[in-house]
Amino acid sequence: MLEHLLFGKLTLDDIPLNTPIIMGAGIFMALVVLATVAAITVSKKWGYIWHEWVTSIDHKKIGIMYMLLAGVMLLRGFSDAILMRSQQAIAAGGNMGYLPPEHYDQIFTAHGVIMIFFVAMPFMFGLMNMVLPLQIGARDVAYPYLNNFSFWMTFVGAMLCNVSLVIGKFAATGWLAYPPLSELQYSPGVGVDYYVWGLQIAGIGTLVGGINFIATIMKMRCPGMTLMKMPIFVWSVLCAMILVALAFPILTVTLALLELDRMMGMHFFTQFAGGNMMMYINLIWAWGHPEVYILVLPAFGIFSEVVATFSRKKLFGYKTMVYAIAVITVLSFIVWLHHFFTMGAGGDVNAFFGIATMIIAVPTGVKVFNWLFTMYRGNITLTTPMLWVTAFFTTFAIGGMTGVLMAIPPVDFQTHNSLFLIAHFHNVIIGGVLFGYFAGFIYWFPKAFGFKLDEKIGKWSFGFWVTGFYFAFMPLYVLGLAGVMRRTNHYADVALQPYFLVAAFGTALIFVGIMLQLLQLYVSFRNREQLRDKTGDPWNGRTLEWSIASPAPVYNFAFTPEVSTIDPFWEEKQNQQHTAKHPETTQYNDVHMPKNTSAGVIIAIFSGIFGFAMVWNMWPAAVIGFVGAIATVIVRTFNTDVDYYIKADEVKETEMAHYKEALS
Amino acid sequence: MINRICKVTAQIALVGAVLFLVGCHSDMTGVLNPKGIITYQERQLLFDAVALMLIVVIPVIIMSFAFIYRYHQSHSGRDYRPNWSHNVLLESIWWGVPCVIIVILGIMTWHMSHKLDPYRPIDGVEGEPLKVQVVALPWKWLFVYPEQDIATVNYLELPKGRQVAFELTSDNVPMSAFFVPQIGSQIYTMARMKTQLHLVATETGTFKGLNSQYNGDGFSDMHFPVKVVEPAELDEWFQKVKSESKPLSEDKYNLLRQPSIAAPAQYFSGVTPNLFKRVIKSYKLSEHPSKLAATA
Repeated sequence: MLEHLLFGKLTLDDIPLNTPIIMGAGIFMALVVLATVAAITVSKKWGYIWHEWVTSIDHKKIGIMYMLLAGVMLLRGFSDAILMRSQQAIAAGGNMGYLPPEHYDQIFTAHGVIMIFFVAMPFMFGLMNMVLPLQIGARDVAYPYLNNFSFWMTFVGAMLCNVSLVIGKFAATGWLAYPPLSELQYSPGVGVDYYVWGLQIAGIGTLVGGINFIATIMKMRCPGMTLMKMPIFVWSVLCAMILVALAFPILTVTLALLELDRMMGMHFFTQFAGGNMMMYINLIWAWGHPEVYILVLPAFGIFSEVVATFSRKKLFGYKTMVYAIAVITVLSFIVWLHHFFTMGAGGDVNAFFGIATMIIAVPTGVKVFNWLFTMYRGNITLTTPMLWVTAFFTTFAIGGMTGVLMAIPPVDFQTHNSLFLIAHFHNVIIGGVLFGYFAGFIYWFPKAFGFKLDEKIGKWSFGFWVTGFYFAFMPLYVLGLAGVMRRTNHYADVALQPYFLVAAFGTALIFVGIMLQLLQLYVSFRNREQLRDKTGDPWNGRTLEWSIASPAPVYNFAFTPEVSTIDPFWEEKQNQQHTAKHPETTQYNDVHMPKNTSAGVIIAIFSGIFGFAMVWNMWPAAVIGFVGAIATVIVRTFNTDVDYYIKADEVKETEMAHYKEALS
Repeated sequence: MINRICKVTAQIALVGAVLFLVGCHSDMTGVLNPKGIITYQERQLLFDAVALMLIVVIPVIIMSFAFIYRYHQSHSGRDYRPNWSHNVLLESIWWGVPCVIIVILGIMTWHMSHKLDPYRPIDGVEGEPLKVQVVALPWKWLFVYPEQDIATVNYLELPKGRQVAFELTSDNVPMSAFFVPQIGSQIYTMARMKTQLHLVATETGTFKGLNSQYNGDGFSDMHFPVKVVEPAELDEWFQKVKSESKPLSEDKYNLLRQPSIAAPAQYFSGVTPNLFKRVIKSYKLSEHPSKLAATA
């Protein structure tokens, strides 16, 4: 009885000791964690990690932590991809492969959830955190403490999804957990509960983060930076964050209703007692379609910055770009039904949503032409960020074309849910979103760490990634047209196998690409002295972030900059009017800064306890988690010691050091 | 570096082209090898739309490589114009051309969405349609021919050249989708709801039918052969099933409702009355329909 109260549904049987693949993965993860903990303890770095990172409210450090999370989760999500591709490469004819549906179904679910929520989203928030305040000449984001809280909520959500690997099971429903499959009747285990609570916790972090960035952009721009003089990346983030603020509450409510069905026996989405699964499917896509634009708009912003910088030319059609982003933002909310044309709505409804979807292709196409004509009559250097952009053009054009194809309802009646769809959205999410984030990562890496990434290994990794991408996904278009469905575990027709083998080969190439990226990080770190960015402006940049030292000093700008154009730093360099005086003769002021706080991580940990307890119905633990989180929020409000000043002398010293190094 | 990129791209294009040509081989199942009026029109629409979009896509791809080559540091120089960032004519062109294409595509979409609406009987096909009722079960398909009073599991036989009007629902299985790629469109099957689909097969032969909506462990095995025969031959088959098979009683149906994976084809003669309607109605009750008999 007591055991049941404390542990709820959890028993020892829920730990899959008899499944070697899962236990192997679990043990591997445990070893990595233990090794990390041991390394930190031996080197006596706990204090450093706690004070400098975990409790840090510095947007640059939070950005780095977001990107670290995204990187680790990318490895996890990609290993799922390897498992799926190898299963499908083997399981032809009578062969059932090595993954029974029970495991396979969890793997493709985890792959989707992890890649979208815990790779793409943290990667995006990481890049935003890293550069956005610098681009608008701000000291930090509007709410630094909330920013730290957002990150830790995302982190805890990710961990909750990963714990399901070893304790219990993950959802086996597909990444959007369509009911009635995700209802208690068909998914009685804890998998869907892990999914719901993991995403709810991470979702709060995302929503708060979105609001934080809207406030930052609206209120913290430096003098002179009117809306139409913001760097285009800032515009794209603003629109993406407006989408976050509008769309994520829909996700929260939808998942809450699903969990009410599961926990309280309600009937929002059940098949019987008046429930309607199509309501869920409408709601989840009312979030889900804006979500893809949340991911891709910042990538568009990155492409704009990178193309302009490496073409040494003004971004073509800045105003058109802004309008195009705004139009996409609005339209993204009225196309969700194209995800289920096959539910049997009539021609009017289907045609409306189909045409609305196609219209998005116009502003998107305009952006592509603007990028192309930014290069036209430019002076292009093919650094690795620029290479990713070049690969983006072709890849995204193909992905966009197949997207418009699927927006035609009668074509969708053939391609819906097939591998054609899988090829399409990987085509745009890898080719558009991920390529963009990679470009941004390499582009802004020096600003974060103070040294450039190794170009040679970067180019090799780029080559493997892009070639691998085409090998992995082009065959899926053919398979989709041949009537092979997504989430297929095995298939009878051996004539299909060669295509799956080619796709698996492509995955292997991407694997090499990822390994090279890791190698690139390692080698660049080792050679950081040679690759050191002394001037703070390694690429001949255009916007404010390049006007300060690399890595950016903790206070960002010693003096709040004033701007009068879209490319203030570039114009300054062109006109040779270095407004910055010699630091020796400059009178610096004390800089007002927010203090670190442990509240964010503590609330997140309590939320994690609450989430885990809710999954397993451990009521006492759930109460502790919930009360603990609320109590921490309240206690923190009584803390008035939240700021401090960096002394003018220290600022002067930092600026002097940068000045000297830049001259050397 | 640029040469290497061009080389890699060329290789990719070559591999892609080869794969695609192999893909169009006549053995291919799916939309590229249509055997029904609907699929044929859907393929035509697919090709038309691709052709229309290539008007923009091909120039984009060519320009992206050409501009990078032409304006690379090593080639650029005299015509470098760092502040050129606006041109009304050019911008009008690339707002205008995609708009025109989307207008054409939009008109095509509006027209074809109505013409190929699965609920709508197919134009220009004479004669009364053959009625088939489809029930998705865990993880198998039940097909009822109400007019002939026979039923099959995981096997469908259809006449060539005659319209078939399907009514679909599902029972005791999450949302599924009925799909015979070479003959026509796919459509969801949902408990408590009835969806409709119209198909006309134009060639005889055996084609693959499947479930396209993931619905649990038995998903990958939820497929069935679709045999298209001459109408006269179909009548013979009806007679054969009628004379040789056992009835689909209520008890038998409740057995079928139990989950099973890769069930063999089964044939029934004499279907318990109004089965399809009652399956739908059973979900309209406030209680969970543990047994169909409860609604009788």
